[in-house]
Amino acid sequence: MSTLTERAPLASPPPPEPIPAEPNYLNNSFSIWSWLLTVDHKRIGILYLVSITVFFVVGGIAAGLVRLSLVVNDSSIVTEDTYNRLFTAHGVVMLFFFLIPAVPAVFGNFLIPMMIGAKDLAFPKLNLASWYVFMIGAIMAVWAVLAGGIDTGWTLYPPYSSRSSTSNVIPGVMGAFISGFSSIMTGLNIMVTIHKMRAPGMTWGRLPLFVWAMYATSLIQLLATPVVAITLFLLMVERAWGVGIFDPALGGDPLLFQHLFWFYSHPAVYIMIVPGMGVISEVLPCFARKNIFGYRAIAWSSMGIAVVGFLLWAHHMFVAGISFYSALLFSLLSMLVAVPSAIKVFNWTATLYRGSITFQAPMLFSLGFVVLFTIGGLTGLFLATTGTDIHLHDTYFVVAHFHFVMVGGMVLGYFAALHFWWPKMTGRLYSDWWSRIAATIIIVGFFFTFIPQFVMGYHGHPRRYPNYPAEFQIYHVMSTAGASILGIGYLIPAIYLTLSLFNGQKAGANPWAATGLEWSTPSPPSVHNFDTTPVVVCGPYEYAIGVDQMGRGLPEGPGEGGPLGIASHEGHPSPPGPMIKETEVVG
Amino acid sequence: MSGLLHLIPERASTLADMFEALFWYITITVSLAGLLVYGALFWFCVKYRRGKSSPSTPRILGSERLEITWTIIPLLIFLTFFGVGVWVFNYYAHPPEDAMEIFIIGKQWMWKAQYPDGQRVIIGGNPANMTEAERNSIGRLVVPIHRPVRLTMTSEDVIHDFGLPAFRAKMDVLPGRYTTMWFEANKLGEYHIFCDQYCGTWHSLMVGKVAVVEQGEFMDWLAGHKPLQGSDNAVDGSLAWEGRQLFLKLQCIKCHSDAANSGAPSLSGIYGTRVALDGGGAEIVDSAYIHESILKPRAKIVRNYKPVMPSYEGQVTPEDLNKLVAYIRSLKDGRPPTWTERFPIPEGAPTERPEPKSPEKK
Repeated sequence: MSTLTERAPLASPPPPEPIPAEPNYLNNSFSIWSWLLTVDHKRIGILYLVSITVFFVVGGIAAGLVRLSLVVNDSSIVTEDTYNRLFTAHGVVMLFFFLIPAVPAVFGNFLIPMMIGAKDLAFPKLNLASWYVFMIGAIMAVWAVLAGGIDTGWTLYPPYSSRSSTSNVIPGVMGAFISGFSSIMTGLNIMVTIHKMRAPGMTWGRLPLFVWAMYATSLIQLLATPVVAITLFLLMVERAWGVGIFDPALGGDPLLFQHLFWFYSHPAVYIMIVPGMGVISEVLPCFARKNIFGYRAIAWSSMGIAVVGFLLWAHHMFVAGISFYSALLFSLLSMLVAVPSAIKVFNWTATLYRGSITFQAPMLFSLGFVVLFTIGGLTGLFLATTGTDIHLHDTYFVVAHFHFVMVGGMVLGYFAALHFWWPKMTGRLYSDWWSRIAATIIIVGFFFTFIPQFVMGYHGHPRRYPNYPAEFQIYHVMSTAGASILGIGYLIPAIYLTLSLFNGQKAGANPWAATGLEWSTPSPPSVHNFDTTPVVVCGPYEYAIGVDQMGRGLPEGPGEGGPLGIASHEGHPSPPGPMIKETEVVG
Repeated sequence: MSGLLHLIPERASTLADMFEALFWYITITVSLAGLLVYGALFWFCVKYRRGKSSPSTPRILGSERLEITWTIIPLLIFLTFFGVGVWVFNYYAHPPEDAMEIFIIGKQWMWKAQYPDGQRVIIGGNPANMTEAERNSIGRLVVPIHRPVRLTMTSEDVIHDFGLPAFRAKMDVLPGRYTTMWFEANKLGEYHIFCDQYCGTWHSLMVGKVAVVEQGEFMDWLAGHKPLQGSDNAVDGSLAWEGRQLFLKLQCIKCHSDAANSGAPSLSGIYGTRVALDGGGAEIVDSAYIHESILKPRAKIVRNYKPVMPSYEGQVTPEDLNKLVAYIRSLKDGRPPTWTERFPIPEGAPTERPEPKSPEKK
């Protein structure tokens, strides 16, 4: 059935190890202004990395306190008001200031120009502006949730948020509103860059799948974020001046808010997860030493998710008072979006077939992603089905599903990216042993945290309940125990990654023997990435032949055990350089 | 701390039985699919790990046949979920004609139930947030077994959600409009009521109980013989009776009296019928339409009548509306409302309505 889609490119021997760049982008200047006024996409990526790590810690502490208070089934650890502020802080900070910028703003910024062979993004100053806008919004919102707090939940449903709540709603909403513009700027920048700045030979069919995923993400950021900006603005207008938009007592319609909010916030979950899928599509082929299975299917499924993702928003509203037939329509459309995700999972699995697989930390995180995201995706089907959603809606089932996709999926994808490209970003290798331990602990802790929540949700336990019936307590205790393990799992990378900056072994240009253009630059890269414009001759995943995208041979692949690094293949025979190979046909 | 939960949560309604069939159909199907993927993933990871497999890997780019297979088959499976889901959802969304109606009002942080021909009960909420009288009135939502019950719900402030996990049903409760849901309980007992939509500080205490009782007991309770609701409060007057007081007090009867030239449609026997509207179309007279006609009388005018009725927005509470609806519903054909001694015709009021002035006539 399938055919040879392209001829195996002719290979040339592995290039010599590039001379470490002096100065590189990190050490060409150390002044504070060289960071705060930089227009280098790599430095801006690092600025984002540091910022979102802080917000991840803030959101994580809030989550820890929420889980702690749920060990008892009354409000004896924190009061109801405090609890409501904690889960709102967790949701607002994690979603708007960690998950949305995590991969697009950190790795998108850092890697997109390098992957397509460009010296920077299309609009470097706009890129810097996006970071400032993001920080203004983020600081405003974080101040709002720390000083007094917001008690509306991240969903901000009026009329509660516009009329009833007495907390800091306006500063928090203003923060999310402002940071939305940063998301638009990043999306615009990445989209234009991908269109206009690809190196010679980098055709659309040769783009790494991470670039495809970022393209799809940028499309959503550009088209959906303005809608949430309007929505949040209207909410502030109603709250500040009593203009009736959403509050029925003022002649408004509360369902209007929900429609507008989910018109953004449903696609927004794809802003969060699609970049993670892109990361996985990079990591799995590298550690399986295989071409990705079904390149076109994966690329188009990203675009499919981006487009169909706009048509599902009201599946959050089956029991909110929408009409019978609109519920049916949105349920049907939700089934369609599950298909591209399933396609990706099948293709990732097939990529491993007849591979030569090693299990360094990026691979462990990626496999964890596939396993946990699959559970998250499949449990989404229960919520997309009208007949089951009428019971499961607004219960812990939703909480568990969402966390399986966002934490089990996206956060693991983020960690996979962090571990995969850390040597490129910093020029250092981290502890192989500790990173594998951390990946294992995170995945195990995650399971213990969220599997009990599926059981509670199935039994009808509503979300956002600091007081709950006694029969659920044992499950909350299990969940909190799991969250403690998860918390430890998150601390370990903070330690070994930080240590690696000081005493980590120097990484070569291409420690994973990966094929992307970014690996042809020294680690850390020079200020302008490429000394000469690279010329691309083949697709992104020619691991079987053993050539990178410029048609040059690869150094040998990452070894099993032993220190991680370019010399680690001793005793693990790997094909010496490029080989002539026929394309095999399966299925 | 109590023991582990049951494998299947307690089921107490016809909908719950249908839900479980659907839930386990999806669960088993997706578990098999998940295990298939995990099995392959695990098998490949073990079999093709470095050192055990050839370090030279084949160049496999994909397979159109496989892509098509794993696009079509999941889609078809997902569509069966959708289809069976619609079967359950259709049952949930369409109450039978003969369902008994109970009104539910949510407010921060209290649930109130009103039975059309009898009682009003507070069925849950945060006692710390109530008056002494209200605290003494906290009871249960009493419903008969094997009889369809329709809940018509509205909120006095923010959005709530009336959730009945043992019945596998929930529905948002919105301010400014009615939402409905229904169930037919099929197991005696007492079950949770949860507020499932976040509504502020005491959201997690906006909980209550629903009690399913035998039909005979239920009738006794409705008649005021048995305090099954579990609270100390006395049986209240029927809603319709209170609606009638309001109907007279608000002077509705001045026009809606069935008298000739009264200028307003007759309300006797109108509930549940279909009326033709001015400007085309027709409308079933149900609680939502009556609600709208009292608050926004000019939205839908009955054909051959003039839009002269003033709005009662701000003058009537949602509770009042329920009373008025119950009263209008109770009016049998040919039994028009009448004045009482307590509410006589006002002094000097015109006994005949003047012709409304029309702008065309000069």
